[in-house]
Amino acid sequence: MSNETEFKNEFNRRDFLRTTGLTTAGLILSFYIPMGGRKEAFAQTATPGVAPKPNAFIEIKPDNSIVITINHLEMGQGINTSMSQLIAEELECDWKNIRAVSAPVDAIYNGRMGMQMTGGSSSLITGYDQYRQLGATMREMLVSAAAKRWGLATSECRAENGFVVSSKGRLSYGELASEAGQLPVPTQVTLKNPKDFKVIGQPMTRVDAMEKSTGKAIYGLDVRLPKMQFVVIQRPPLPNIKLLSFDESAARKISGVSDVIRFGDSVAVLAKDTWTARRGRDSLNPKYDLQGHDKMTNETLREDFKKSLTSDPGVVVDKRGDVTAAFAKAKNTIEATYEFPYLAHATMEPMNCTIDFDGDKAELWSGHQMPTMDQGAVAQVLGIAKEKVQIHTVYAGGSFGRRGSKTCDYVVEAAQLAKIVKKPLQIVWTREDDMRGGFYRPMNVHQAHLAFDEKNHFVGWKHQIAGQSVVANSPLEKFIVKDGIESVVVEGVAQTAYSIPNFLVDCRRPNPNMTTLWWRSVGHSHTAFVTETVIDEIAHQTKKDALHLRQEMLKASPRHLAVLALLAKKSPWGKPAPKGHAYGLAIHESFKSVVGHVVEVSLNQKEIKVHHVWSAVDCGQVVNPDGARAQIEGAVVYGLSAALYGEMVIKNGQVTTSNFNDYPVLRMAEMPKVDVFFVDTHSPPTGLGEPGLPATAPAVANALFKLTGKRLRRLPLSRGLA
Amino acid sequence: MELKVNGKAVELNVPGDMPLLWALRDTLGYTGTKYGCGMSLCGACTVFLDDEPIRSCVTPVSSALGKEVRTIEGISEGTKAVAQVADAVKTAWTKLSVPQCGYCQSGQIMSATALLVKHKNPTKEDINTFMSGNICRCGTYQRIEQAIVEASRSLT
Repeated sequence: MSNETEFKNEFNRRDFLRTTGLTTAGLILSFYIPMGGRKEAFAQTATPGVAPKPNAFIEIKPDNSIVITINHLEMGQGINTSMSQLIAEELECDWKNIRAVSAPVDAIYNGRMGMQMTGGSSSLITGYDQYRQLGATMREMLVSAAAKRWGLATSECRAENGFVVSSKGRLSYGELASEAGQLPVPTQVTLKNPKDFKVIGQPMTRVDAMEKSTGKAIYGLDVRLPKMQFVVIQRPPLPNIKLLSFDESAARKISGVSDVIRFGDSVAVLAKDTWTARRGRDSLNPKYDLQGHDKMTNETLREDFKKSLTSDPGVVVDKRGDVTAAFAKAKNTIEATYEFPYLAHATMEPMNCTIDFDGDKAELWSGHQMPTMDQGAVAQVLGIAKEKVQIHTVYAGGSFGRRGSKTCDYVVEAAQLAKIVKKPLQIVWTREDDMRGGFYRPMNVHQAHLAFDEKNHFVGWKHQIAGQSVVANSPLEKFIVKDGIESVVVEGVAQTAYSIPNFLVDCRRPNPNMTTLWWRSVGHSHTAFVTETVIDEIAHQTKKDALHLRQEMLKASPRHLAVLALLAKKSPWGKPAPKGHAYGLAIHESFKSVVGHVVEVSLNQKEIKVHHVWSAVDCGQVVNPDGARAQIEGAVVYGLSAALYGEMVIKNGQVTTSNFNDYPVLRMAEMPKVDVFFVDTHSPPTGLGEPGLPATAPAVANALFKLTGKRLRRLPLSRGLA
Repeated sequence: MELKVNGKAVELNVPGDMPLLWALRDTLGYTGTKYGCGMSLCGACTVFLDDEPIRSCVTPVSSALGKEVRTIEGISEGTKAVAQVADAVKTAWTKLSVPQCGYCQSGQIMSATALLVKHKNPTKEDINTFMSGNICRCGTYQRIEQAIVEASRSLT
C-alpha cells in the first residue's frame, strides 16, 4: 500500500476546509471535512477571529498539545488509542502530547450506514485510511509553513517528533500552527509504506489508562449537573404489557422523593439521590396485565422454536450442490439439535442517560454508541429540531452491543420524561433493571443433518435455523434484512468458508414477546458453535485429526490456513494433554477477521475448568498489538461466561434473572491463561472487538467431548452436564 | 452527621441507612467509586474504611461515622503504608494498560491495594482468592494479575 492516496470515499472528500481561530486557548489549527451540501455552514465557521466549531479532527495548540477527535465511542475496545496511533504515525508528533476526545454529533463524523456509530467491529476498517490521511495532511501543511518561514523548499525540511527540522534549525508544531492554517490544504498526500511504520504496530499504552486507574474517568453515571434529580423507573416486564395500577402515595411518602410521574406504561420516581429514587420505585407495587403473556417460559419458547423448524419452511440462505441427493445415497447420518438461550449484555455500568431539556433545547450525556440516531430520536420525542439536541458522548462502562440500541430505548425514555419534567435528570437503571430491561441476544435453535457415504466420506449437510430477529421493527432493519434474509441471524453458517459438497441452510424467525439486540459477535455467537462442533463431529466420524480436517476443508481460504498453521505452531495441539485435561480446537471468521483457539479444559464433577487458551488471529495490520491482545483476552472471557453460565430465565412471561448472583460471569479464579498470536500482515485492519468470541465456546465443547464422549449441544454447557 | 472522607470532614444530611456508596456518589460527588450491583456481588463500589476494604453498596453510612473513608480519589493521600502501595498499583495498572472500559477498575485497584497491604508478595492463589469478588466484564483479569505481581515487585 502507501503512495499517493486520493481522498476518495464520501467522508474523505478533497474539499477539506480549515480555519484558524483565536480563542482563549490560543491559536488552533483545525480541519474540517465537509459533506456534500454543507459548505455554507462551513464558510461561516471559517470567519477569521471566530472560534472554530468543535467539529475538528485534529487541533494543534500553541503549547504543542494535540487534541484528536475520535468519531467512535470508547467503550473499552481502545479505539481512542488506536485511532490516535493512526494520526500520530503520519503526523510525526510526540505521542505524549496527544489527547483523545469523543466527537459531538456532526455529519462530518459519519461512517457506516450514513451515520455516526460504533459497531460491527468496524471502527478501524472505516478509519484506517481516513485518520492516516488526516495526519499526513496536517504534517504536510506544517512542513510547508516551516519551509516558507525559512525560505527553503519543502524537500529540505522534514517532520520529526513534533518539530519540523532543517539545516536552519527546528520549529515546533505549536509555533507553526497558525501559519500552517493560512496555507492551502493539499488534496493529495503520500501515506507511509507500512515497512516504515513507527507507531502503528507498536504496543502503545492506552491513552485513557491513567484516568481509568485513578477514578477520574467520567462515565454516564458520573455526570453531575446543578439541580439534577436522580430517577429510577418502573418499567413493564416485557414489551406489550400494560400497567394496570401502582401505589403512587407509597413512593411520595418516602422522604427525599420529589416527584412520581407515570408516562406510558412506566412510572418514574425522582429524588435527590439514586438510593431514594430506587426506594420510591420499589414501593410502587405495580400491577400489570400479563394476559396472553403469562405462560411464556424458557421451555415453551424452546419448544416453539423447535416446532417452527418443521412448521415454517423458512428462507434458503445458502445452497451448494444437491443435498437431497446426498442424503438419498447416504450410508450414515447424524442429526443434532442445538439450543441457545437469551443472553443479557450485563455491562458493568448499567444503562443510564442524563438529560437537560429547558423546553427549547436539550443536552444529553451518555455512552452514545449511535449518537446520530439518539439525536434524531430525542428531537422527535421533544418536537424540536435535531440541531437543538446536543449529544455529549462520555466513556461507556462496557457495551457489547447494548448501547447500540436499535430503538434508542433508554435515550428515548429519558426524553419522554424530560419533556414532562423540564429539569436536569439522570435516569439510572439498577442492575436488576438492566438484566430485565428486555434487550437480549435472541434465543436460537439450530438443527444439523450430516450425511456420510458408504466410504464414510462426509457428503452432505442440511442446516436449519430458528432464530429470533435481531433488528425487526427498528430503523436498522432496512440495512440488514435483504430479500427476507437477516444476515445477523445466519452469518457464520451461511457462506461458511468450509468447502462442503452438498449444503443447504435455511432460516425462519419466530417472533415471541421478547426484545432482542446485537450481543458481542451477534449471529456468530451461536452459528460458530454449531459449525465448529459439527466439523469436530465430522472429524470424529471420519477418524481425522480436527486440525487436519479443517485444513482440507479450508484449502481455498489462505487466511484460515495461516491461522491454523500459526495455531499448530504455537499451541500444544497434537501433543498429549496433561492427565485429566483435553485440548479443543475451533476457528471462525467474523467481521472480516479469522480467529482460531486451542483450549485446554478439565472437568471436575460438573465443574468445567478452562486452563489455557492459545489464540491465533488474522485481523490484518495490527495497529496496537497490546490493545489487540486485550480484545482477544476480553472476548474469550466474555465468550466463556456465556458458554459456561449464560442464560436468562423466563417464567410466567417475565425475565426473573436479576443480578450477578443468578447471572454468573467469569471471575478471577476462573481466568485461563490466554496467549494471543497475530498473523504477520500489512493488509488493512479488519474487525477485532468481536472476532475473538465465536470460536471460544465450540473449542471448549470439543475439548469436553474428548473428556466425556458426550456432545453438549445446549448452551450454557453447564446445563448439558447437569 | 459528620463523615470523614479522604481526610476531610464533610457534613451529611442523609438517612443513616443510606448505603455509603450513594452518599459518596450522589451527595458528596466522589464518583470514582462505582455502582455495579448493589448487593456486594461485583466489588465495583469497594472503598476503605479505616484502611479495610468494604463494599460501600451494602454498608450503611451510619456505620462509617467516626471512621476514615478512603475512595479511589484519596487512596494516595492516606497512611503511608496504603499510599505507597496504592501508587505502585496505579502505576502498574497504567503501565500494563489494564483498564478496558475501566468502569470496574476503581474497585479492582482498591482491592488490589488492600491485598498488597496485607501480603507484600502474594501467590497466584492469594490473588485469585482476594480478587474474585471483583467482576470485570471486559475480561481484564489476566492483566490485573500481572499488574499485581508487577506492583508487588516494585514494592520489594
